[in-house]
Amino acid sequence: MLLEQKLIEQILDAALETGADFSEVYIEDHQASVLQSVSGRLEKSNNTKSFGVGIRVAKNFQSVYGYTNSKNPEDLMKLAQDLSKSFHDEIKTTRTPLMELEEGKKHQVKIKPSEVALKDKVKLLKEAYKHASEYDEVIKQVICYLVDDQKDVLIANSEGRFVTETRVKVRLMISSVAADKGMMQTGSAGDGSGKGYEFLFDEMDIPAHAKEASKVAKTMLYADDCPSGVMPVVIHNAFGGVIFHEACGHSLEATSVAKNASVFCGKMNTKVASDIVTAIDDGTIENAWGSANYDDEGYPQQRRVLIENGILKSYMIDKINSRRMQMEPTGSSRRQNYKFSPTSRMSNTFIDNGSSTFEEIIANTKYGLFAKKMGGGSVNPGNGDFNFSVMEGYMIRDGKLAEPVKGAALVGNGAEILHKIDMVGNNLDRQRGMCGSASGSIPADVGQPTIRVKEITVGGRKKGAA
Amino acid sequence: MNLDKLFKRAKEKGIVDLEIFASDRNSLSIDIFAGEVDKYEIADTKAITIKGIVNGKMGTFRTEVLDDEVIEEILDTIIASAKEIDSLDDAIIYEGDEHYEVLDDIYNDELYKLDVEKKINHLKALDKYLHDFDERVTVVETMYSENNNSVVLKNSKGINLSNKANSAYMGGSVIVKDDKDQRVGFDVVISNDFSDFDIENIGKEIVEDALMSLGAKPVPSDSYEIVFGNGAIATLISAFQGVFSADNVQKGLSLLKGKLNEVIGSSLVTIVDDPFMKKSSSSRSFDDEGVATAYKELVSNGVLKTYLHNLVTAKKDGVKSTGNGFGGSVSAVNLKMEAGKSTLEEMIASCQKGIYITNVQGAHAGVNAVSGDFSLQASGYFVENGKKDRPVALITVAGNFLDMLKDIEMVGNDLKMSYYGVTSPSIKVKSMPVSGS
Repeated sequence: MLLEQKLIEQILDAALETGADFSEVYIEDHQASVLQSVSGRLEKSNNTKSFGVGIRVAKNFQSVYGYTNSKNPEDLMKLAQDLSKSFHDEIKTTRTPLMELEEGKKHQVKIKPSEVALKDKVKLLKEAYKHASEYDEVIKQVICYLVDDQKDVLIANSEGRFVTETRVKVRLMISSVAADKGMMQTGSAGDGSGKGYEFLFDEMDIPAHAKEASKVAKTMLYADDCPSGVMPVVIHNAFGGVIFHEACGHSLEATSVAKNASVFCGKMNTKVASDIVTAIDDGTIENAWGSANYDDEGYPQQRRVLIENGILKSYMIDKINSRRMQMEPTGSSRRQNYKFSPTSRMSNTFIDNGSSTFEEIIANTKYGLFAKKMGGGSVNPGNGDFNFSVMEGYMIRDGKLAEPVKGAALVGNGAEILHKIDMVGNNLDRQRGMCGSASGSIPADVGQPTIRVKEITVGGRKKGAA
Repeated sequence: MNLDKLFKRAKEKGIVDLEIFASDRNSLSIDIFAGEVDKYEIADTKAITIKGIVNGKMGTFRTEVLDDEVIEEILDTIIASAKEIDSLDDAIIYEGDEHYEVLDDIYNDELYKLDVEKKINHLKALDKYLHDFDERVTVVETMYSENNNSVVLKNSKGINLSNKANSAYMGGSVIVKDDKDQRVGFDVVISNDFSDFDIENIGKEIVEDALMSLGAKPVPSDSYEIVFGNGAIATLISAFQGVFSADNVQKGLSLLKGKLNEVIGSSLVTIVDDPFMKKSSSSRSFDDEGVATAYKELVSNGVLKTYLHNLVTAKKDGVKSTGNGFGGSVSAVNLKMEAGKSTLEEMIASCQKGIYITNVQGAHAGVNAVSGDFSLQASGYFVENGKKDRPVALITVAGNFLDMLKDIEMVGNDLKMSYYGVTSPSIKVKSMPVSGS
């Protein structure tokens, strides 16, 4: 066990001493490695080892958090006592005895990062480099990253929760730079998993991803600037789901809903999207990038139907915000590590399959932009305004894919755009992402089938729509 | 961790040179929501990054577990890493410089010692100021965050350096609402002198712009003269700061490759790295590799004067490290665009048909640091015949970083350090394409 049960109980008790009604201990033992290869040569091998304890103490809506990387019982007790000083109440909450320690059994890993020799990890990087660099002579630089991460967490609270699990993530990313006649463009690709190295050794098609990175770089190198203006946009499946993640997902997190700072406040069971939109946040998908046995408050991860046929069905809610909202928590509390107090976050979030085929969607679009590969983006949860960049885009003319275009940005408002989705494909796929927000950077899947948005503002460098 | 034991075991295991970089970070962070303390965090973290050279290659290990029993594992991992590294770069552990600047104003003990209650009460006063400012202010969140950092660098070549700095920021965000629209405002002031946290100054910066932007709409897509407010341009410069890194230049990942001593911007543009900047907790007298830091002009009146170097990139280019080796890579300490002579009002008044941009978003995704292209969501005000007309939102401003530097026509006298750690005045750019309605 990461800390003695008796010490954990003492910490939980000390934190309640001055009248708080909830206390929680989060313990994390973490090991990670980041390998970076440049032009096929291993340049960096950075290894990290960390251990830390986060203590949260709350009363009603108010919560205080502190952390330390000391294992020393005196330091930990002092932290709990310091935190408890924020509360002054005669009425004391009695702690519920800890349940028998429960260990998460889902998302099992076959090959843990610690069981893989460095030279075998390096082979994966060399393979990726080979296929990316040999793709075309305009590819002048290839940088590959191999990241593995293993976390053992233990969570206990004053309501008796007492759980532990091991979380493993692996990811291989390729970034290619194409250059010609003084111009330069990058393309990236890669994949990751909540499995162990068996995913990289046996499942991931590394050559395909490596070639994809180089293909995007080369295509965008010779692409024209994207025209700007308002036009229909077809957003491709998988990482295209970042539109929903940014434009809608963040505004459905209790972090903004509980503070009345979201456009979706008070919209439960009302129509927030067109009828063909069903959206899900599912933290239970076997070994998925954003899955876990438990959320970071120690409650089981869940499958949440956020929007069903256009109707808002659920927010994503953590414990403290659930008190403010007077709604049940949804197992959505997450954090980057012990240095962050947990709060409501997405897990694996996606728009569900519709009925159109990809070909039908393109054929039905007379003029518009096909955003094949999305870059990242951000949203202001206060009003839902979002923006994100298009890494690989093509114009659609007369129902056919036409020339590639670069430098496009999609700008809009989350609440509005959900009503403007007028076609949803049947080719749902998910892709890996890192999501940064209040409780740090966490792995999260985005996903969707190919969708069409009736109209959206496209920001490009070329004036006016053709 | 017993460092003597670490150095001794390293030598016994065949690690030629060893260096440790120890950091101790102590932080406090408080949020006020609805007049009450909503978040209160205290933290203390210690970490050591250990670098070792074996056969001319460097292995690295960062650990927060500081017991002696992890020493063997760390050293073994460093040796295994060094064996696999086949980069052609040299691994260097530095013997030190003769002179290091003495920075005595980057740590303010008074800030650290100031009673937490006083910090909370000051924040509550800001919360009240914002609530009382205007009835259209609906949601208010205020925050205070303080960091006290001390670092120690020691190596087998005799370097033994330490640095202590602290800094805090106070600020907040508001949502303002009328019957038709909802907008947000946000600002922070950064300093290690608590008396700089003036309620009225901070409050106005947070709320005034948000109120004025109610009813903001896109403008028609076209080219406009652009005035970037100091916060907005700092965000953009921050997103492009990697272009000055010699590491990126050498890898072909910077648009400044091959442009040394060439004109890359208007003669009004001077960009410096000032590692001795007062009231910045990033300020340092030595970098993570033990090289003395120095004030330097990266761009001087439009001419690119130097890249930022660490030991490895400097050796490759046959120059001396500029003292910018941080976190295993190369970065500026305090990047700053020098102030000009114009006032913000003069810049706005100079526009026939322009947009005064107060905020840009999506800088982490909407910029391409290799090509220099960017396309960012922006908001601000439409300016017609020199007058601020109506608020504008949901537009994108697109361009190329170098084209923009060349097209800078006026530089403001209103220097401000942004949330991103970049200090900049407001600037005016001749013309940029804007996409809107």
